[in-house]
Amino acid sequence: MLFTESTLVFIALNGVFAFSFYAVLVAGQLSLAQAGFAGIAGFTAATLTPPPAQWGPIPTLLFAMVVGMLVGAVTAVILGLPTMKLRGVYLAIATLGFAEAIRIFLLNSEWTGGAQGMSVPKTLTPVVAWVVLALVTYWFARQSRSRYGRALEAIREDELAARSIGINVGGHRLSAFVAAGVLAGLYGVMWAYYVRLVAPEDFGFSTAIDGLVTAVVGGTANFFGPILGSGFQTMLPEIQRTIGIEAGWIRPFISGLLLLLVILYLPGGIASLIPRRRQKVDIASLQTDAAGLSLRAHPTAGEVVAELKDLAKEYGGVHAVRGVNLTVRSGEVVGLIGPNGAGKTTLVNMISGLIPPSSGSATVLGVPIGRTPVHRIAAAGVTRTFQHSKLFNRLTALENVLIGAHVVAKPTFLRRLIWLPSARRDEHTALTHAARCLDRVGLLDKANTLAKGLSYGDQRRLEIARALAADPSLLILDEPAAGMNHVEADGLSELIRSLAADGLTIIFIEHNVGMVLDTCDHIIVLNFGEVLADGTPADIAADERVIEAYLGAADDGETDAHEADVAAAATPTKAAEENDD
Amino acid sequence: MRKALRTAVILSASALLLAGCSAAQDGGGTATGSLKGTGSGDACTIEGTVPLGAALSLTGAAASYGESQQNGLNLALKDLNAKDGVKYDLKIEDDGTDPKQAIGVFEKFVRDGTSAVIGPTLSNTAFQAQPIAQDGGMPVLAISNTAEGITEQGDFIFRDSLTEGQVIPQTIEAATEKFGLKKVVVMYSNDDAFTESGYKVMAESLEDQGVDVVDTLKFSVKDTDFRSLLTAAKESKPDAIVVSALIEAAIPLVTQARELGIDAPIIGGNGFNNPQLMKDAGAAAEGVIVGAAWNSASESPENIAFMKAYEDEYGSGPDQFAAQAYTGLLVLDHAVRVNCSGERTDVQEGLTQVKDLKTPLGSLTINKDRDAEHSAVVQIVQDGKFAVLN
Amino acid sequence: MLQQLLNGLFLGSIYALFAIGLTLVFGILDRLNLAHPSVFAASAFVGIWMTEAFDLPLWLVLIAVFAFGAIMGLLIERIAFRPLRERPDAHFAGLISSIAMAGMIVALLQAVFGPNTRRFPVGTIPEDALQFGDLTASWLQIIILAVSLGLMIALSILVQRSSLGRSMRAVAENPTAARVLGVNVEGVTATTFAISTALGAVAGVLFALNVNSAQLGMGSAIELKGLAVIIVGGMGSLSGSLVGGLILGIAEVFAIQYIGSSWRDLIAFALLFVILLVRPEGLFGKRKVREV
Repeated sequence: MLFTESTLVFIALNGVFAFSFYAVLVAGQLSLAQAGFAGIAGFTAATLTPPPAQWGPIPTLLFAMVVGMLVGAVTAVILGLPTMKLRGVYLAIATLGFAEAIRIFLLNSEWTGGAQGMSVPKTLTPVVAWVVLALVTYWFARQSRSRYGRALEAIREDELAARSIGINVGGHRLSAFVAAGVLAGLYGVMWAYYVRLVAPEDFGFSTAIDGLVTAVVGGTANFFGPILGSGFQTMLPEIQRTIGIEAGWIRPFISGLLLLLVILYLPGGIASLIPRRRQKVDIASLQTDAAGLSLRAHPTAGEVVAELKDLAKEYGGVHAVRGVNLTVRSGEVVGLIGPNGAGKTTLVNMISGLIPPSSGSATVLGVPIGRTPVHRIAAAGVTRTFQHSKLFNRLTALENVLIGAHVVAKPTFLRRLIWLPSARRDEHTALTHAARCLDRVGLLDKANTLAKGLSYGDQRRLEIARALAADPSLLILDEPAAGMNHVEADGLSELIRSLAADGLTIIFIEHNVGMVLDTCDHIIVLNFGEVLADGTPADIAADERVIEAYLGAADDGETDAHEADVAAAATPTKAAEENDD
Repeated sequence: MRKALRTAVILSASALLLAGCSAAQDGGGTATGSLKGTGSGDACTIEGTVPLGAALSLTGAAASYGESQQNGLNLALKDLNAKDGVKYDLKIEDDGTDPKQAIGVFEKFVRDGTSAVIGPTLSNTAFQAQPIAQDGGMPVLAISNTAEGITEQGDFIFRDSLTEGQVIPQTIEAATEKFGLKKVVVMYSNDDAFTESGYKVMAESLEDQGVDVVDTLKFSVKDTDFRSLLTAAKESKPDAIVVSALIEAAIPLVTQARELGIDAPIIGGNGFNNPQLMKDAGAAAEGVIVGAAWNSASESPENIAFMKAYEDEYGSGPDQFAAQAYTGLLVLDHAVRVNCSGERTDVQEGLTQVKDLKTPLGSLTINKDRDAEHSAVVQIVQDGKFAVLN
Repeated sequence: MLQQLLNGLFLGSIYALFAIGLTLVFGILDRLNLAHPSVFAASAFVGIWMTEAFDLPLWLVLIAVFAFGAIMGLLIERIAFRPLRERPDAHFAGLISSIAMAGMIVALLQAVFGPNTRRFPVGTIPEDALQFGDLTASWLQIIILAVSLGLMIALSILVQRSSLGRSMRAVAENPTAARVLGVNVEGVTATTFAISTALGAVAGVLFALNVNSAQLGMGSAIELKGLAVIIVGGMGSLSGSLVGGLILGIAEVFAIQYIGSSWRDLIAFALLFVILLVRPEGLFGKRKVREV
C-alpha cells in the first residue's frame, strides 16, 4: 500500500511548506528563507511548549503552532525590512543566506542541543495535519479573487505599474513575507511534533530548495498548486520503491529527470493543467451602481489641480528639465509637446511621483511631490499611462482594469474568509465598474481576452481604461496615440474630450500635433527642458519660436508631425531606476 | 498537446491511487511457510524464509557509510544462507539520508511483517524512525548509532555499536598516559550529531584526566581544508590534537597537519577507524591514535575470516561500518536460532540472550540496557597498519 | 598572522574561481545556473580518473577538464535553459531546471564513481613547499593561485578586447537589439555557458588537488558561499568575483583566528548582508535595476 501514515502526514506538511513559498511567489518575490523560519519556529515552540501530558495533545499542539506562527512572522519582518529593495536573484540569494545564517545560529546554540537536536513528543496526527492544510488552502482560495490577491498579482506582473495605480508595493510585499513566515513557522512546528526530533540539519539549504521546487512544480497558477506539488514530490520516492526501482543512484536520477520534464513541458506547474477560472462579467447586467466604491471628491471646475514652481531635474550635468513653472486647472485638457528629448516624459514622471525633482517644488491635488511615494500620489487622484504599455500581460483585460480600481474598491479579503455577502456585493460592484471603464474605451467585447493577446491599439486603450478605473482627478497619458492611424487617433481625441466633459483633468504628451491642436484647451511646448510657450492652441500655432523649434514651416507641418511619431527611447527606463518607495 | 498531457497525468494519477489503495487488500508480502521452527542454535530448522530488513543511507550525504554497511550485510547474508537450517531474505532499502524517507521505510517494514530491521545509518534518523518499529513491535538492531538514548526509546531497540562513552574514555586515558599530555587542542565538526556527541565525551574524558584544553576549534562536516584551523592550533603549541571527525575529514586533517609542520600526536575517535586513513594519508598517518569499537588488527578467527572474505569480495579492506553491519546480521541470526523462531517477539527475546557471541568485533554481549558490550580498542598506526596500543 | 593571511588568500582564490563562472552567466545572460556546482564536482572526479587511467601530467589534466567543463556547459544550456528562454518566468524556471540537472549529474557521478571519496594517485600532487622565514606556502597552493588569477585575467581580456567579448557585452545590454544588429545570440549564449562551466571545472580540479579528495557533495558544500561571493563582488563583475572571493577567504580565516571557528560560516552571510544594505550592486557591480 502506497499510503502509510507518514506519507499522508508528509504530503500535508510539504503542502503547508510549499504554500509558504506560494505566498511570496504569487507576488513575484523569490524569497527563499522559509527553511530558516521553520527551523527557528520549530525549536522555539518545542522549547516553550509544555509536554502534552499537561494540557492534552490538541491544546498543546495548538499552543505550539501559535508560538511557531508568531516566531515565523517576527523573523519574516526582521528579514523583510532590510531586504525591501531587493528583487529577483538578489533577493533569492539574500534570503537563502539569511536562512543559512539561522541554521548556523541554531547549530551553535546551547538551548537547541546543537547538531543532536531536541527531542519532541510525537503529537501530530494525519487528521490534524490535513485540517491545517485545508485551512491554509482555504485561505489562499479566498485570496485569489479579493482585492488583496489581485494586488499581489499586479506586483508580480509589473511592479511599477502597480505602484502607479496606487498599490503600496512595500506594504504588500511585507505582508506576503509575513504570510510566508507564518506558514513556514507552522510547518516547522508540525514537523517537530511529528518526527520526534528536531535538528538544525532538517532546515538546511536542501530543505529550502525542496520547498521551492515543490511550489514551482505544483504551480502558482492555481491556489491548490502547492498541494499537487507536494503530492508529486512526496510520493515520488515511494512510487519508485513500489515499482521496484532499485535503491541507489537511479532514484535521485529519475527524480531529477522528472523535475526537469515538468519544468520544461508544464510551464505553470502541474496546476496549469487545470484551467484557471477567470473573473468574467455578464455584459448585459450593467447598472449604474456605484454604491460599493469609495469614489473620491473631485476638484471643482477651474480649481488649481497642479502647481509647478521652478521644477527642475538634472542627471549629472544633463538638465532634462529646467525651472518649469506651470499651473493646471481642473477640467482642462493640457497638451505637452516638444521635440524628442525635450523633457516631457521626465516632467510627467515628476508630477506623478516616479522621480524626485532636483530642485523646485510642485503640488498635485494638494500633495507635495518629491518626498511622497508614488502610490500616495496615485491615491490622491493621479493616474497615468506609460510610453511603452505596462499592462499585466498574463491577466485578462477585465482583470487589468479591476486592479486599476484598487484605490476605489473596498478591501474584500477578510470578509471573503467568512463568506460575508457584503464582500460578494462589493466584488460585484468593482466588476461592474471595471466593465464600464472597458466600455468607455470600447473594449468591453474583449473583456476576457488576455492583455498580451490584444492588438497594439487595443492595448493602448486598455491602459487608459485601467487608469480610468481609479476614478482619477488628473489623468496623465504618455503618447497615447503613438502608432495609431488617423482614424484611431480621431477616436482617441473624441474619448479624451468626452472624459474632460465628465470633469476629468487630462495632461497628455503627444507628437501628433494636429491631434493636440484639435483636442486641447491649453498647450505647453517644451524645448531643451524649458517651457517655450504656454497658451491656447491658437496662440501656440501662431507662435514664431514654436514654429521655428518644433513645427517647422507651414507646408512641412504634416511631414514633420508624421516623422515625429517615432517613440522616444531611453527616458522611461531611467525613470524606473529613480523609482523610490 | 495540453489536453493530451492533462489526460495522461490524470490517468496515471488515478492508476497509482487505485494501485496504492488496493494493494492493502493483498496484505503485505510475508514469508512463505511458518517462522517457528524446531531445534535450537546450530540445529535449529525453520521452514519459512525469515524476512529481514535494513534501512541504510545509500544515497545522499551519508552514502559512503551506507555503502560500507550494505557490503557488510550482503557478505554476512551470503555466509548465513550457506549454513543449514535457517534461510534469510534481506531487503535493503535506501532512506536517502532523509528522515521522511526513513520513516516511510520503517513503516513499510512494519507493515510487511519483517521480522527485524537493521539500521538506520545516522543517529538522528534513528531517533525519528525507530519509534515506529517500537510501536509496531518490530525489533531494531542499530549498527552505527552511537548517541546516548538510542536504546532508551523502547524495549524493541537494540544495538551492536558501542557508544562513545564505551570507547573514548579509555582512549583518552591511554593517550594521556603514553604521551604525558598536559594541554591539548580539540577539533571537531559541530554540525554532525555523531561527531558532536563524540566531542562531548572527549571533553569530559579530558577533564577527568586533568588535561587542559587550550583551544576548541569547530569545523563543518563538509570541510576538507583545515590549514587555517591547524595554523591557529599550532600557535597554542599543544601536546596533542584530539579530533572528533568522520573519515572524510580525518584524512585531509592529518595530511595537512603534517604538511604544516605539526608534529604533535593526533588522537581520533570512531570516525578514524578506516583503512583508508593509512592508504590515503600515507606517511602522515603514522603514529595517529585511534580509539574505536572494532579492532581491525584483532587476530581472532572470526575477524581474520571476515577481513579476508571482505577483501576477496570487494577488493579492499573493510571499515568499522562494514564490521558492525556484518556483526549485526550475525547477532540477529543468533537471536533467531536461540528460540528457533523468526517471530518478532521471539527475536526480541532472543536478542536479550546474546552473550559472549564470537564476532569480528570480539566477544559480544547485549546487556540489560540492550546495548552492546565488547572490548573496545585503542589503536596506533604503525607501518601503515593499525596496531593495538600497549 | 601573516601565515593566516596567506592561507586566506589561497582559500579565497578558489572561492573566486568558482564564483567567476556563476557571475559570468549571470552578468551576460541574467540567469543563475545552479548546475554549476555539480560540474565543479564532476570535473574533480573526471580529473582524478584521467590521472589514474591515462597517467596524464597535471597540466594536461587541467586542459582536459576545461574541455570537459565546456561540453557540460553546452549540454546544460541546451537542455535546461534554451527551451525556457521565451517564458515570462524564465528566472524561476531556469533556477529549477538547473537544480534538476544538478541532481541528475550528481546521481550519474555516483553511478560511475560510487559514493566514496576519490583521491589522486600517489605522487600526482607536488609535495614541496616554499619557505619564507616563518611562512609556508606549498607549491600546490601557489599553482592554484596562479592558475586562478591567470584564468580570470584571460577571461577579462576576452570580454573586454575580443569580438566575442563585444558580442557578449552586447547581449548583456540588450539581447533583442544585439540580435537585430546581427549578433548570433544563441551562439553567444552557448559559448558563455561553456566558458563559465569550463572555469568551474578547472576550479573543481584545483579544489580537489588542494585537499586531495573529490566528494559527491563538494559542489553543494561551496555553493552558498559562491553565491555570497558573487553578490559581494557585484553580479556580473569579473574583478568583483576575484576581490569578493579573496575578501571572503581572508575574512573567514581571520574569523577563525579572532572570533571563533564556529562562526566562520556566518562570515560569508554577514558580508552578504552588509553589502546588500550598504551597496546592493556589490563592490564592483554597476547599478542596474532588473525587475522580476
